[in-house]
Amino acid sequence: MPYNIAMVSDFFFPQPGGVESHIYQLSTKLIDRGHKVVIITHAYEERTGVRYLTNGLKVYYVPFFIIYRATTFPTVFSFFPIFRNIVIREKIEIVHGHGSLSSLCHEAILHARTMGLRAVFTDHSLFGFADAASILANKLLKFSLSDVDHVICENTVLRASLDPLMVSVIPNAVVAENFRPRNYSSSENGYQVAPLPQYLGPHDTITIVVISRLFYNKGTDLLVAAIPRILSAHPNVRFIIGGSGPKAIDLEQMIEKNVLQDRVEMLGPIRHEEVRNVMVRGHIYLHPSLTEAFGTVIVEAASCGLYIVCTQVGGIPEVLPGYMTVFAKPEEDDLVAATGRAIAALRANKVRTEEFHDEVKTMYSWTDVAERTERVYDGVSGVLSEADFYGYDITDAGSWSATRGRSGVQSFALIDRLKRYYGCGIWAGKLFCLCVVIDYLLFLLLEIWAPRENIDIAKNWPKKEKVDRIQRDRSKFGR
Amino acid sequence: MLRSQPRLFARRPSPTTVEYLVSTSPTYNLPLRLLLVTTFIFRVLVGLGVLVLLCSKFARKNYSSEATTYPQTPDLLNIDYVWYFLHIIATSKAGTQSAKLASHIPATALLPASLLIFYIILLRTHTTEALLVIRGLGIQTSTSSDTFLSTATTRFIPTEKIQDIFVNEAFRGFEVRYYLVVVVEGEEDVVVVFPRLLPRRHIVEKVWRGARACLYEPDWGKEGKSG
Repeated sequence: MPYNIAMVSDFFFPQPGGVESHIYQLSTKLIDRGHKVVIITHAYEERTGVRYLTNGLKVYYVPFFIIYRATTFPTVFSFFPIFRNIVIREKIEIVHGHGSLSSLCHEAILHARTMGLRAVFTDHSLFGFADAASILANKLLKFSLSDVDHVICENTVLRASLDPLMVSVIPNAVVAENFRPRNYSSSENGYQVAPLPQYLGPHDTITIVVISRLFYNKGTDLLVAAIPRILSAHPNVRFIIGGSGPKAIDLEQMIEKNVLQDRVEMLGPIRHEEVRNVMVRGHIYLHPSLTEAFGTVIVEAASCGLYIVCTQVGGIPEVLPGYMTVFAKPEEDDLVAATGRAIAALRANKVRTEEFHDEVKTMYSWTDVAERTERVYDGVSGVLSEADFYGYDITDAGSWSATRGRSGVQSFALIDRLKRYYGCGIWAGKLFCLCVVIDYLLFLLLEIWAPRENIDIAKNWPKKEKVDRIQRDRSKFGR
Repeated sequence: MLRSQPRLFARRPSPTTVEYLVSTSPTYNLPLRLLLVTTFIFRVLVGLGVLVLLCSKFARKNYSSEATTYPQTPDLLNIDYVWYFLHIIATSKAGTQSAKLASHIPATALLPASLLIFYIILLRTHTTEALLVIRGLGIQTSTSSDTFLSTATTRFIPTEKIQDIFVNEAFRGFEVRYYLVVVVEGEEDVVVVFPRLLPRRHIVEKVWRGARACLYEPDWGKEGKSG
């Protein structure tokens, strides 16, 4: 069932960044799956109004602060009239907010719930919860998450005061086309060409690639200790190290002390689009990190057809299947031993690294992310039954908070919404309730002031024509 | 009641000419016509009343001492007749009443107030905007003025200056509106057709198809109309 989805975030192109590209990739794939997606963001310099991107992706750059220069509307509500207009003219059913630090997204979720739409929130933040900024962000999060239908996280860090059933984990994806192995025969014409296995002779050089920021938490100290031992144990091995950071000087000292200039190559900082070209020069990717939430770089390396040696920390063990990786404990001896095992396995030609790319492509594709996001949409809009969506029998109402209507989906009734907000805190709860009530009154006022029937329904981007239609047109031209 | 939602009227005097009118004027029926006549009479009466008020204020200041009497009625085509007529009004019951009223209102308040009233009674009841397309010649946009005193503002764009005509969306106030624009060669800004009324999408689309059909190849138009 196709949905009309509005992605709302403060962060979108032309500003570059991770959230931006996430929204773009996800939207494109959702459009490919037959949904209609519009993106609502605030105006950037020289970029205001309504724009179309590839594939008919419509972007509203809302001129946020210009509308009412004279009157000082509280910012919490100033977005509502225009948001309502967009939602009505695009017939939006699901509002999907991105980014926990985007105020536009929180506002949109509040208004969407007031208007009786389903709201989904994706949290992109990977930062902790100790510093002042994150405490503030957490409070803000609590406000909008009190009433949201579903939350999507990229990693498994869960927030307090959130029903765990409301949270899905959908990892980030990798654009596999940008991380193709060397000599990759693309199967664009529909023919799947089996990749040729690359055999390594016993005396061929094996190159180990390390690309990371050279910080303590990325395990650069481990690397400094392990490299001389690995190189002395295995004669035909070379290292390529990319990245910069405070620990770069330690690495350089190590190289000079052990006279390894001809076997260890330091590349310095690498831009993201060059990473693939560095990776395909190697056979093994070494990831000595001490903490890691997800480790996109490992996925990228595996996509380039590299065998992975990595420390068993954080979320890393969940990222890739066992046959692509050799795990080590985060200590010097084990890292050396694991690298040794990896080199031996490659020399014995036991690992089919040339198949990694296609496997990663299916595992971490945006299509997959879009499918899983779609499932969340199905769940919140009630297409999927609760048992299907939440995975186990939840017929006992006790596992759900009392303020929900249908279990798993937040009820739209104002009193239920107020109850949820009231539970946010002694003062915050009352403040939030006030905001919700004002928002609701504003909504009623808008229904009178700008009636629904006076808003034009936007025309959808024309979908690709069906094959028979094209053939008919051809025959018309042919005569 | 005297104005409706913007509606589209098309006139096609010849196959190569078409005029699209978008107007807020309602369809006239008998009660509405009566209402229009009533408003017109009301406007005239209000206007005359304000004139009398101003006159008595003006007359009281300068000519109050000058008590001219007219023993007999002057000739109709004489300038004296005007003075006589004014005299009759001033000495009538309404005239004395207005003179009394005028003496209570300071001139600083009376003048702006009467100007405002004149402006209001001169306002047109509805707005009309038009797009005239003549193949091989160009297009002309026109917008009716606010008051009855001035004429419509028009703008003619010759065909060779027209780069494109299209429908676009933009933010306007708290809304996103569709509007028809003409891109003129050598100009920074585009020309918006129907800038005041900004009619709704179905009207704009119809005008767009019709204008393109009339301006360019006739085949285009047939295809555009069917689609």
